[in-house]
Amino acid sequence: MKTSLKRELLDHGATVVGIAGLRGYLSGEIAHLDRAVSIAVDRGLNEDTLSLLTKLQKRTVRFLKARGHRTLAIPPDSDRKKGTFISKLYSLFNHKMAATSGGLGWIGKNGLLISPQHGPRLSLATVLTDAPLRPDVPIEQCQCEECALCIEHCPSKAITGAQWSRSSPFVELVRLKECRGHKSSKRQTTGKPNCGLCINICPYGRRETEVRSAEFGVRNK
Amino acid sequence: MATDEKRAELIAKLRNAVIQYDEDASKEAAQEALTEGMDANDAIFNGLVSGMEEVGRMFEAQEYFVPEMLMCADALYAGLDILKPHVKQLDLGVKGSVVIGTVEGDVHDIGKNIVKMMFDVAGFTVYDLGRDVPLDKFVEEQMKTDSDLVCLSAMMTTTMTGMKKVVDDLRKKNPNVKIMLGGAPVSQDVADKYGADGYAKDATNALKDAINMIASLKKMKDEVEAQKAK
Repeated sequence: MKTSLKRELLDHGATVVGIAGLRGYLSGEIAHLDRAVSIAVDRGLNEDTLSLLTKLQKRTVRFLKARGHRTLAIPPDSDRKKGTFISKLYSLFNHKMAATSGGLGWIGKNGLLISPQHGPRLSLATVLTDAPLRPDVPIEQCQCEECALCIEHCPSKAITGAQWSRSSPFVELVRLKECRGHKSSKRQTTGKPNCGLCINICPYGRRETEVRSAEFGVRNK
Repeated sequence: MATDEKRAELIAKLRNAVIQYDEDASKEAAQEALTEGMDANDAIFNGLVSGMEEVGRMFEAQEYFVPEMLMCADALYAGLDILKPHVKQLDLGVKGSVVIGTVEGDVHDIGKNIVKMMFDVAGFTVYDLGRDVPLDKFVEEQMKTDSDLVCLSAMMTTTMTGMKKVVDDLRKKNPNVKIMLGGAPVSQDVADKYGADGYAKDATNALKDAINMIASLKKMKDEVEAQKAK
């Protein structure tokens, strides 16, 4: 079942798919849904990525329900979905945890999911389920090693340089206040809150065009 | 009008959409019911609500847990939003309007929202004050809207005590208003002590009670219709 689900999702546009075993990691309300299908799509963070992820997620839900399993789809933009009953439970869960547990990557110094092939350039959606899918091998700690590009390039000096590992998940990686402060001042000047230098500069999965635009952006500071 | 066969098919579709917590299917079936000229009340009560009754049963039997129940409620609302504008007002001989909210200091409103949904379905006019509602606001809103029912919800023992004040104030201004309490720390004893008319223990029981309420509404509706037919 796992292989055919993965193949179906990859055939329909997913970049990577991982299965996470989450027994013992979930809070009471959702503890019975202890497998997660972590679906990742290489972005542009645009409308297309979002709608593709949503479609893949619906496909997963249909696939699992048709085989008699329960599902709970956590939408890719769960923080923006409000007003439904189930949206209250979205905060109990974290896409990145499913992704690291499903072997997609680790949490980098910039606090983002880093995939060995795609770097911090994946957008995520998750489907929790009670289907007995065999979990993939989880990644337990940060593999950024000595690399400090994101720390050096962060315009608000928000990245602490601490390293994530599953055994110490509450270490502060990014000082959110600084990061947000920078983004909101950026919004005032350019009308857009986007920063994303820590994404562009990451050497994992980097493309040449992005390197140039990132360096250009830094030189202009 | 839809044929009997078509009607049965649509009822099953609506019911299963709720049980299977499939919002898309719920919307689709509701739309189809309207296209086929099916009575919206029929679609809501015998389709959507009947599905939710089954969900309540499954929840009690621990086949479904909180997330499934919430998703079922979302699916019900998805269909209800489409059907509701086409509902003919039920003539029940009762004026159904209710003020509902979670009391001051408390932000837990899942249970309150599920109870609210049941009132919505039953065709009540619902004045939802939301959560963390200042105590005076309940009295004020009841006076303003002249509602016959006030539902108070609290999740914590510390905020529950605020209910007593609301009950007292309401009784002073309007002795006839019915007051229902709900939430984890509330019990029949508390409800009696505070002078409330009814209570629901938690989201599950509120759901069950609300379903019972709708079942009796259905009965009343059938009786009214039977009388009309005579």
